[in-house]
Amino acid sequence: MKLAFYPGCSLEGMANDYARSIAAVFRHLDITLVEIDDWSCCGATAAHSLSEMMAVALPARNLAAAEKMGLDIVSPCANCFNRLMFSKVMIQKKIFDVPWPVTGSIQVHDMTRFLARPDMVTHIEDRVRMPLKGLKVVCYYGCQMVRPPRLTGFTDYENPLTLDRLATAAGAKVLDWSYKTTCCGASIGIGRRDIQESLTARLLEKARQTGAEAIVVSCPLCQANLDLIQRDKASGCLPVFYFTELLRLAFEADNDSAGWFRMHIADPVPLLKAKDLLR
Amino acid sequence: MLSKDQSEHRRHGNEENLAAANGRRRLIGDRGSHFLNRIEGETGANIAACYQCERCTNACPVSLYMDVKPHQVIRYVQLGWREELLQSATIWVCLSCEMCTTYCPNEVGVAETILHLRSLSARSTIAPREKQLAVFHETFLAELQRFGRVNEAWLMAALNRKPGILKEKIRSGQLKTEIQLGLTLWRKGKLKLLPKRCAAINEIRSIYRNRIGDRS
Amino acid sequence: MSDQNTSKADDGRAIGRVIVIGGGIGGIQCALDLAETGFYVYLLDKTHTLGGTMARLDKTFPTNDCSTCMFSPKLVQAAGNPNIEIIPSSRLLNLAGEPGRFTARIEKMPRYINLEKCIACGQCAQKCPQKVPDAFNGELGFRKAAFLTFPQAVPLKYALDAKHCLYLTRKRCGLCRKICPTGAVEFDQQPEIVDLEAGAVVLATGFELALTVQEGEYGYGRYRNVVTSLQYERMLSATGPYAGHLQRPSDGRVPKKVAWIQCVLSRDAARNRPFCSSVCCMHAAKQAVLTRSHDPETQTVIYFMDIRAHGKEFDDYIDRARYVHGVRYQRSMISQVYLNPENENLIIETFDHHLNRKVEQEYDLVVLSSGFKPSEESSALVKQLGLTANPFGFLTADFDQPVSTSRAGIFVCGGIEAPKDIPETVIQAGAAAAEAAVVIQAGRHSATFIAAAIPERVAGGPPRVGVFVCHCGSNIAGVVDIPQLMQQVERLPNVALATDFMFTCSAETQPRLMELMQKHELNRVVVAACSPKTHEPLFQDTLRKAGLNPYLFEMVNIRNQCSWVHSQEPQQATEKSLQLIRAGVSRALRLEPLTDQTYRVDPRALVIGGGLAGMSAALTLADQGFSVHLVEKDVRLGGFARHLTETLEGDAPPKLVRTLEERLRRHPLISVHLESRLTDHKGQVGNFRGIIAAKDGQEEISYGAVIVATGGRAYEPREYLYAEDSRVLSQVDLSRRLKDDPSWVRGLERVVMIQCVGSRNADFGFCSRVCCSAAVKNSIAIKESNPDVQVVILYRDLRTFGFKELYYLKARRMGVMFFRFIPGEQPRVYNDSAEKLIVDFTDRSSHQEFRVESDLVVLSSGMRPHAGADQIAAVLKLPRTKEGFFLEAHVKLQPLEFASPGVFLAGLAHSPRFIPEAIAMAKGAAQQAAKILCREKMSTPATVAVVDPDRCAACLACVRSCPFAAPFINAEGVSEIPPAKCRGCGICVVECPARAITLKHSTDEQIEAKIDALLEG
Repeated sequence: MKLAFYPGCSLEGMANDYARSIAAVFRHLDITLVEIDDWSCCGATAAHSLSEMMAVALPARNLAAAEKMGLDIVSPCANCFNRLMFSKVMIQKKIFDVPWPVTGSIQVHDMTRFLARPDMVTHIEDRVRMPLKGLKVVCYYGCQMVRPPRLTGFTDYENPLTLDRLATAAGAKVLDWSYKTTCCGASIGIGRRDIQESLTARLLEKARQTGAEAIVVSCPLCQANLDLIQRDKASGCLPVFYFTELLRLAFEADNDSAGWFRMHIADPVPLLKAKDLLR
Repeated sequence: MLSKDQSEHRRHGNEENLAAANGRRRLIGDRGSHFLNRIEGETGANIAACYQCERCTNACPVSLYMDVKPHQVIRYVQLGWREELLQSATIWVCLSCEMCTTYCPNEVGVAETILHLRSLSARSTIAPREKQLAVFHETFLAELQRFGRVNEAWLMAALNRKPGILKEKIRSGQLKTEIQLGLTLWRKGKLKLLPKRCAAINEIRSIYRNRIGDRS
Repeated sequence: MSDQNTSKADDGRAIGRVIVIGGGIGGIQCALDLAETGFYVYLLDKTHTLGGTMARLDKTFPTNDCSTCMFSPKLVQAAGNPNIEIIPSSRLLNLAGEPGRFTARIEKMPRYINLEKCIACGQCAQKCPQKVPDAFNGELGFRKAAFLTFPQAVPLKYALDAKHCLYLTRKRCGLCRKICPTGAVEFDQQPEIVDLEAGAVVLATGFELALTVQEGEYGYGRYRNVVTSLQYERMLSATGPYAGHLQRPSDGRVPKKVAWIQCVLSRDAARNRPFCSSVCCMHAAKQAVLTRSHDPETQTVIYFMDIRAHGKEFDDYIDRARYVHGVRYQRSMISQVYLNPENENLIIETFDHHLNRKVEQEYDLVVLSSGFKPSEESSALVKQLGLTANPFGFLTADFDQPVSTSRAGIFVCGGIEAPKDIPETVIQAGAAAAEAAVVIQAGRHSATFIAAAIPERVAGGPPRVGVFVCHCGSNIAGVVDIPQLMQQVERLPNVALATDFMFTCSAETQPRLMELMQKHELNRVVVAACSPKTHEPLFQDTLRKAGLNPYLFEMVNIRNQCSWVHSQEPQQATEKSLQLIRAGVSRALRLEPLTDQTYRVDPRALVIGGGLAGMSAALTLADQGFSVHLVEKDVRLGGFARHLTETLEGDAPPKLVRTLEERLRRHPLISVHLESRLTDHKGQVGNFRGIIAAKDGQEEISYGAVIVATGGRAYEPREYLYAEDSRVLSQVDLSRRLKDDPSWVRGLERVVMIQCVGSRNADFGFCSRVCCSAAVKNSIAIKESNPDVQVVILYRDLRTFGFKELYYLKARRMGVMFFRFIPGEQPRVYNDSAEKLIVDFTDRSSHQEFRVESDLVVLSSGMRPHAGADQIAAVLKLPRTKEGFFLEAHVKLQPLEFASPGVFLAGLAHSPRFIPEAIAMAKGAAQQAAKILCREKMSTPATVAVVDPDRCAACLACVRSCPFAAPFINAEGVSEIPPAKCRGCGICVVECPARAITLKHSTDEQIEAKIDALLEG
């Protein structure tokens, strides 16, 4: 199987560990990710805020490139996914003209939903060598992946289950909580850090109340947000995993020699060691 | 720090209020339907359909920080209160988390309306209530225009070079926090100092030329 | 088919049978209304029992009456009526033919228990090892795979759940077959196809909750303490999963804080459910009130946006909920419910405008007031029958034919027509019965079973009492020691026979009872079983069939009064049973044979009021072959509808008036009396005499039944410069001007409408029900003529219930602006110095004060009863509300009749209502009247009060105290009680200072004998 891969800017920067674990996971699953050649930024919230035209045009360039490749896009970043979908829908509704030919011939997949399809979950379960037994996690989806439902296609927008299924496949104990899609405030971090931190802190508190030992995410901004706020925490921190990090660990069952978790602020290594999941 | 334009609007508003005899009583005049029709046309949102149930405001994670609450934004659009909206903190504080839109029973498109007002504000001469946020979005697009992609470190640096930003950050102590944060990120290897540039950067820049030409 | 059913209508006449589909309150009422007017009814239900939604309710608004207590008698009536054939677990597969002569193919699903053999002993359920979540209780509790849906189920027979029964699924177990004492378990039952012939079909398939676990709204199905409104009914109910002890599902704790969320999947265009489900506001209020009475410490909060209390005295109920019972109302709609993982409490976040921040409220329990939808089965049926449904699957009917469907001969009533409450369903049920009866009128009495008269044995000689003791399965026998009891009963004086039965009431036992009565020459019978309220008529009927006078019967309730209440003390329960039986026997000895009085019925009707309701009632009766006198005060027919122009849905009332008037005038059976009044009325049900006074003299008429349809009128506002400033109009005025001169709108710039003028205030407490729709209608009309006119509507609660909500949505989308005000901040309308018309008001949503310079101010003025109602109320001695609307016999189940027999009620005389509602009421009332008119003879029960003229001092105590106005002082100067008017309540007996009055069948002697016998032991 082959897919067009649109990593997005974050995976080249702060979310580099996400990018590495994605590569490892897809290698194990025998799915080839072909990075869209010379891809460009989707425009994120900024384009959306200031110019609707730009918000449609910027992702369109990447859609056109994938169409040329004849491959469906898989997007690891919730924000990029949302923007690609938005652009695709607006072009299909012929609300804007864009300089690149986009026919809507290819699908845009959110990576979690693609992997949480029943056949994929079986495929994943087959490759798990070390189920992450005893690791109690909550899954956090954030906003952009699921909302607005008309755009994202998530009908269970209040209680999405894609990450839950994937973390369960990795062997972790997934706890239900009500805050799966409650905004972490990432988009306002620059400018009104006070607001962002109050939202993020609340999420951590709720996760802890639920009894979670770690949080599983798929959005680079959510991860950075939830992780960074814990930088001054001496103890009792909640590691924030990309779901692909958990899958990779379950697939490879290795020690920490490669420093897979070194970019985390809330260090997951002690937790994983305590659970006997890292030697 | 009101711009001339803004203070004019304020004064105009006051005159209208005074004309309404007792200061606080607002006139329901003709402006409403024009503004409403315009915004509905530009966003495709069913703004008129709102029945003020307040689901949006109850769902909004940042309604506390908004001077005009989401359900009121919709009412203000219906009433044609353009200035109040474009001057509001609300349009900048909004997280675009889409909770309001998702839970609206009338398909009003609250988030889309707020975002559209934000872009109207950016294009107007009205000074944004949340300056840093407004400048940040501009800076982001400028960085994108430069490289085709956005590098987090360069973006922050570019933002700090914008007029007034650094000064404000020093005043508020935010700069200190950011430096500490930067160091942490650097230690963790999360900061990439070299930006990547798209090969076809000219292609991307071409769309900036008709940037203002939004849906007409 | 039973052989008593005469004829197959071979002569080409319509078949006098009707198929009613759906056994809820609508279907049952419709079946009764048909069966009691000479038609045979097949009553189908998809489940194992009749009951529908009403059987699941705990109590009902606005009286807080117990739903089961009201409903059980109806169930018993349906079960006991020889002209209603109940076909449970069945569905209609196909309908061929035409109105009057349909052939229906029915599939009966296997029950796996033989209906004839099952005696409902309950042993199968007791022994069944398989536990199943109990759907009847909203899956909050468990039942067995062998089960009885609920204790009052009809038929009262068990069933096997094919999905869960171990034998039916895996060929294991089979225990029930082994232990069933009557061999009723039949695992090999197969679906059965039968063809039925009928002249008409009525759909009464009801509704389901739209909320499902898949919808997942507000965590339903995800969080254990989030329940639906219907689940909550079961939680409150004494027969529910928690035996009436309110507790939460997660941990059984008594909830101390309960929240209701309104409009779940209602008024929600985004989820394609843009209509209002009409009843949720009221049932939430009721549930909150009941919750507070379960435990006054429990806090209750209702989250809502508009309180829709648009029914008679509903606002009163809401006020009591708020200010007497302390139910909190919070006008704020909720987006999401969060879970506190530590205690499974639920968190609701709202924005508090006073604190200017979000507040989190934690609740022990959240109840979701879910909207309604038609069930999947009924949608399939609608499709199968080729009927036109609205986009949401409901069979909304035409304005002038409120219970008709798109196919002739098929009628509709209740929740499948549109979401509605119980009285409106009962009204439609009557109307559907009336419409069906019109179609098959020629077949009346052709297919019904008429009990043959059995000659009565003279019960002379010394008393020979038979005592029959019931086990009631294990209900009685499980506690009371029956053998011991029987030994002692046998020894009671004058007891000729004492014997016991597993189920004395079962159909199989009745022939056996008759046999015993005859064989042992019994002349008094005592049954010791359950409640006489439900079972006395049944046993009296058995006596009658055995040739015994039915008044020689006494019933003793040893179930409710012994085995149930003393289940922990079996010995005492046994002793008490004996005591009660001894008292019963003692009374039985003193019983006298009584004869019901019979007299001929005058098959003509009197309809008072010539508006739409009166005309519809008259035509419905005349179309069924009854003569009608229609009396109208005015010079012309049409009433209030004549003043109207167009309805919200675009129909024209004046046109309907003309159509009805033409039909009416041509109809040979209707005599219209214009400019006339009823000035005198006397006699008894089935046989009244009255005087109609016209301009040119008066006429005495006689009739068997009366329908009161005196109508209503518009309130003439005194507020807001009405009649002072020509720019202030009423909605009716505005409609007329819009119609007369459509171009006039082009000159307008701004229009303000004010709601609740003359409604919902201290002078007039009712909501006038129609004004919100009138405002919405006119605002749309204005916008359609000129979209630039700014229309502002000032309202308190927008009450466009049901599918009228779609027009509210339409008006908003067209740019009509709605602002909410509160009673303390009434809008102010005045002329400024420049003679401009100004409206000042405060909007409660944005907390802003506004001013509008308006070209017009339109007042949504309320409804009032017609002035002529005063005189009619006096002549007919009918009760009214303080607002002047007539008061029906029972707000829930008898909306169409008065407490005094033979007098019925329709239209605006009852309460403010829409035209289709008034017409449905007229047809329903006509059908109730037909129950009397179709009979040749009537009898009054012999249990009436009689005055001993020698002892009467004519003190008027009886005259004053009688609720039915029966006693009068006769020519001899003493009180006389016409037997036909007496209801046997006994109030006068107690009031009479001279003890001159005796109530037959409850004489002092009989009661004293009973008391003495009780005290003996």
